[in-house]
Amino acid sequence: MIVKEWCMYCGECAGVCPRNLIEIREISLKFNEDKCKECNICVQVCPVQALEKRDD
Amino acid sequence: MMETDVLVIGAGPAGSTAAKHAAMGGAQVIVIDKKSEIGTPKRCAEGVSKDGLKELGIELSPRWIAKEATGVRMVSPNGTAVNLTEDKVKLPEAGYILERKVFDKFMAMDAGRAGAQIMVKTLATGMRMEDDQVVVTVESMGQKMEIKAKIVIAADGPESRVGRWAGLKTALKPKDMESCAQFEMAGVEMAEPDCIEFHFGTVAPGGYAWIFPKGDDIANVGLGVLTTITDKTAYEHLLEFVASNPATKNAQPVELNVGGDPVGGLLKKKVADNVLVTGDAASMVNPLTGGGIISGMLGGRIAGQVAAQAVADGDYSHKNLKVYDKLCEDELGESFKKYLKAKEYLLSLSDEELDDIADVFKDSDFETINTSEMVRKLIKISPKALLKLGKLF
Repeated sequence: MIVKEWCMYCGECAGVCPRNLIEIREISLKFNEDKCKECNICVQVCPVQALEKRDD
Repeated sequence: MMETDVLVIGAGPAGSTAAKHAAMGGAQVIVIDKKSEIGTPKRCAEGVSKDGLKELGIELSPRWIAKEATGVRMVSPNGTAVNLTEDKVKLPEAGYILERKVFDKFMAMDAGRAGAQIMVKTLATGMRMEDDQVVVTVESMGQKMEIKAKIVIAADGPESRVGRWAGLKTALKPKDMESCAQFEMAGVEMAEPDCIEFHFGTVAPGGYAWIFPKGDDIANVGLGVLTTITDKTAYEHLLEFVASNPATKNAQPVELNVGGDPVGGLLKKKVADNVLVTGDAASMVNPLTGGGIISGMLGGRIAGQVAAQAVADGDYSHKNLKVYDKLCEDELGESFKKYLKAKEYLLSLSDEELDDIADVFKDSDFETINTSEMVRKLIKISPKALLKLGKLF
């Protein structure tokens, strides 16, 4: 997952992540990408479109 | 390893209230918050009812009250306004617009004065059970530590990670999470500067837009949307609303806030062995208005009291803590069910229907009309109100 620099660390993505994989710090955001099933719900709810699926 | 009776994770209003009441009940309490400054940035429109603060026994301070709001103004998509102003109706929900950055700190200070130890810039990173207690791993300014607690109160907001570590289903579906964006603005020209203002319809699909006055020409201007029914982000909807609304088109932002608001109704199971979930993490938010400061604090108070009692009992099992679910249901859950119904109805209305309803009510003298008369009027113009709201009245 690509976290854009305008992310505001509000945590909405963490709250809807069905696998509890997103850790929001004060000014950073950590994904546990190994366990991510790419359901994309976090991308969908972001109020400022700060998450983007990595192309690989 | 640090040890304590009660560890509260998150020092928002719910967490601080829980900490305060746990400490007042005789428990040893530690509160951690991941941020360097409690209450910042706000993720909230900052409105509370006067009755709510009174019920909580909070002493009012001019340092965190930005403005008193005495009325409500509701605006339909075509701009028709229904004004419930003080001269027209006595509102039970009259309230204050807070300065959350100050308010949240004051609530945490109250917890500290009651005896709680507060650790800022301290993030919970994991949790495990050990000898009938909970060990929470935390990081504080680069230091990794462990805190062993008899009871953990999870007040970690809409992220709600801690409850899930305990096996509770605190994750939300996108349809139960309003995606919100808000500017604090100056130069706002409100038609009724003493009213909190709501705008309904496609301006905010699945939610509503608000303008909450903070005194002078300052206001919180925001909206919440359901991302399941719109392709635009909350922020994009906000920009459109601000540009098109007469009150805000000349206003300037000084702050942007975003975040999720859990509006699906009270989380049913908020208790596990050694763990209580409270505040936004337990969806202690009025599903109709999205307001959750007072309800979160009411829930937090119950959590603190139940935790202190369990410490006194020496029993932190689910069985001994589960009274918390029942007490929260009585305090919040019952009314939330009604608000959910009302929300369903509101969200079922098209822009045209909203305009028609506003047109019928715009000149009503609310002092002389009683609730049943209002409902009769509503059903006449919007027959499905009977079906959707009938049981509530």
